Amino acid sequence: MTVWQKLRPYGMVAPAIVIFSMFFIYPIFYMIYLSMFDWNFVSPTKTFVGLQNFRDLLAEPDFLKVLSNTTVYTALTVSLTTGLALLLALWLNRKSLFHGFVQGAVFSPHIISLVSISLLWSWLMDPEYGLLNWVIGLAGFDPLQWLSHPSTALVSLVLVAVWKGLGYNALVFIAGLQSIPAEIYEAAELDRSKPWTTFMKLTLPMLSPTIFFLVIINLIGSFQVFETIAIMTQGGPVNSTNTLVYYIYEYGFRYFKIGYASAAGVILLFIVGVLTIVYFKLLSRRVHYR
Amino acid sequence: MKAANDTIGGPAVAAPEGREQRAGLLGRRLVWRRAWKAALQVVNAAGLLTLVTIFAMPFVWMLSTSLKTLPETMIFPPQWIPGNFVWQNYADAWNTGPFLNYFVNSVVIAVGILVLQMLTIIPASYAFARYTFKGSGFLFGIVMVTLMIPAQLIFLPVYLELSTLKLLNTHLGLILPFASSAFGIFLLRQAFMQIPEELLEAARLDQAAEWKIILQIMVPMVKPVLVTFALFSFIAHWNDYFWPLVMTTNETARTLPLGIAKIREVEGVATWNVLMAGNLILVAPILVVFFLSQRQIIKAFVYNGVK
Amino acid sequence: MAKIELTNISKRFKDETVIDNLNLTIKDGSFTVLVGPSGCGKSTTLRMIAGLEKQSGGDILIDGKCVNDTPSGMRDVAMVFQNYALYPTMTVRGNIEFGLKNRGVAKSEREKLIKDISEIVGLTPHLDKKPQSLSGGQRQRVALARAMVKQPKVFILDEPLSNLDAKLRGQMRTELIQLHKRLGTTFVYVTHDQVEAMSMGDEIVVMNKGVIQQADSPMRLYHDPANLFTAEFIGTPAMNVMKRSELSGLDVPDGSAAGYVGFRPEQALIGAGPEVEGWVIDGEIMTRESLGSEQIYQIRSRMGVFFVKAFLAPLVSEDRVQVTIPCGQLYFFGADGERLRGIEARPLQPAAGGAKA
Repeated sequence: MTVWQKLRPYGMVAPAIVIFSMFFIYPIFYMIYLSMFDWNFVSPTKTFVGLQNFRDLLAEPDFLKVLSNTTVYTALTVSLTTGLALLLALWLNRKSLFHGFVQGAVFSPHIISLVSISLLWSWLMDPEYGLLNWVIGLAGFDPLQWLSHPSTALVSLVLVAVWKGLGYNALVFIAGLQSIPAEIYEAAELDRSKPWTTFMKLTLPMLSPTIFFLVIINLIGSFQVFETIAIMTQGGPVNSTNTLVYYIYEYGFRYFKIGYASAAGVILLFIVGVLTIVYFKLLSRRVHYR
Repeated sequence: MKAANDTIGGPAVAAPEGREQRAGLLGRRLVWRRAWKAALQVVNAAGLLTLVTIFAMPFVWMLSTSLKTLPETMIFPPQWIPGNFVWQNYADAWNTGPFLNYFVNSVVIAVGILVLQMLTIIPASYAFARYTFKGSGFLFGIVMVTLMIPAQLIFLPVYLELSTLKLLNTHLGLILPFASSAFGIFLLRQAFMQIPEELLEAARLDQAAEWKIILQIMVPMVKPVLVTFALFSFIAHWNDYFWPLVMTTNETARTLPLGIAKIREVEGVATWNVLMAGNLILVAPILVVFFLSQRQIIKAFVYNGVK
Repeated sequence: MAKIELTNISKRFKDETVIDNLNLTIKDGSFTVLVGPSGCGKSTTLRMIAGLEKQSGGDILIDGKCVNDTPSGMRDVAMVFQNYALYPTMTVRGNIEFGLKNRGVAKSEREKLIKDISEIVGLTPHLDKKPQSLSGGQRQRVALARAMVKQPKVFILDEPLSNLDAKLRGQMRTELIQLHKRLGTTFVYVTHDQVEAMSMGDEIVVMNKGVIQQADSPMRLYHDPANLFTAEFIGTPAMNVMKRSELSGLDVPDGSAAGYVGFRPEQALIGAGPEVEGWVIDGEIMTRESLGSEQIYQIRSRMGVFFVKAFLAPLVSEDRVQVTIPCGQLYFFGADGERLRGIEARPLQPAAGGAKA
């Protein structure tokens, strides 16, 4: 092997590795470093404060509210999206032109910019002239305040997230369903299995890797929700929709408390890190059907 | 009854009157079953239509609003078809900011990212898939860690980094952090690994140089995956709002989504007609592309979850 | 055209020794078949000749020139792979042309070569198709054309027919033999199928567990096997082999080292009269397979189950039979499996009440 042949693989991975190290790996350590300082971005000196930023954060009622908002938002979004998507997938899992069209329609919000979706839904949820109030009026309900009231704002954001994510989730489920070999169903039929038993004993277990994948993807995605909040509510009314990434953004870019914001970032990193590790731990332990 | 008799074909040995009765019973059951089936079909079709409505109506509403006068947007109950089509809204939206600029920035950034990603992920994924070299495990570990880190999480330190590099408000500053893609490397490595070794051996016996094997045989073989990834990457960065928002402080490098979001600040909160016109400018191209290559795009996004 | 010499070749994968100290000379212009059960090292040997695998020790000479450090592309070797390994992104023409381009053959020359070769293998109407749209047999031809067009010194074929159905395989066999005659190039062919080996090769190398058992012409391999492995590997059904300790009705000289006695199913006669002198075995027919021109009987005797093959004879209908094996058709092997020659065994007098046994 010539020197060139030995060096070639390193040369080939180098550009990518350099980019990742510069913009993903190094920033993580930099953020952890910053979280232990008091710094306002403009001043030339950073003051070391140890874990004070974390103590401040966890003593701050606003931050605890942000954590609880994020958790509620995530729990609702993930369970609703995944659950509804599974039902939808079972319903839409057919190969016809019309079903293809319906699948396309349900999927379409996934490729639209979150900016567009946020603006569009702000308008749909307008308390005075919004289409949603008209629709629920047709069904005999009183108009809602949607984003403008602390009791409904967070749930309204969940609604938008479910609307956007449902199609993608359903299509992933459909792909999962179609990867289950038809012979298994034929065998179950010959064994006189009832539809419900077939679903519980065959479909669901064989789908479990897909369910698992979607739950994790949705979890990680929901934990870092930003766009809809920045455009639709700016964290309001009265902090009822403020979540982690938006909180970090505000403290970093509005109040210039870099150390404090970094500490919040480290907490988010910790949550996402734990989720990821749990994902891989379970993934390596779980039964593989395929 | 006769028809039912024909289809069922009752047992020929049964007594005439018994047979008549039986056939009648079965016939009635059959009619019920048919009615039940028809009803189910109606319910199913109605459900599907409702579903399409839930997902299509907001877009139709957006189009409708974008063509209304401001007073028309404030009619309740709402009116679906505007009295006059006010195309002026689109011009107004376009004139709220340097939209041509935004548009060019969007294209430059999304295309720039895509081109650099192709240049970095193809060799990297090939090396990871096909060569054994010291430290490859560690280096691939970096890729996997990157795959797990959402960009939303580290924007603050990256912002500080870009500001030190004097790359804020530049195209390069928005492109460089995404010049490679861990997801792309992961996807492509998988594809390269699936190509049978025999094919490479055949090429070596054909005296093909290594670069020629990669460019003329291996890369064409993973073309479907490349197209898939390209679609995914382009749409993701075309739509991105967060990163350009965070990494810019003025208009020079801002993109379309930021421009659209800004209409609200310029025109006031309640000018939904202009806002929806602007929104449509952003959405329409993607929707058109989507309906032209729906299958491919869905595959691009769903692929990820299926392996 | 080239002679290939392997001297003291060994090959290790990590800790496992696949081939140890192998010596083989493949004659110039021969059709040499490497045959053996899977895992016997035949493919590894082949791949080392092609340069796709580097030997752990020893030398490989092609045409008298040591090619140990010559990369595969420069050895003037062409190969047909088991799964053809056609480039799916190129047309048939592109596949055939690729190697020529890489060697810097001029365009006009390339076109002429492709035209000639595609006429020889009958691909002319398919030149602009992608391999995926061709049938198995056509793909096989593309793989052949791609190898032939380079006019190599050595042609290497790694189980090229194993993906074809039986009829097509037979047809391609004949075509390959004709091709070899026409080109006169050295062919090295690997297969696990002894029928294929016997019908195609003019030189057969039987391998097992990384060791060459016997390298000989097909007829000698059949009539004069060097050891038990070759004897049992060549021929269908396989040679019947019995342990000396379990023999009855045959007297093997006490002094000989024979551990096994074998005979070919087609040499045994059912119901032969006393005029045929030989070893007589009583047995019961368990199954009969009739292929029309030949019949194969599975017979159970006191010494175990063995096979008898008869040609163009009416099917034997009775269950109990006497099988006679002429003494000259017996093979003797030592306890280690090596062939022992020059042993003369005598049949004991067939027992009068043999049928009772």
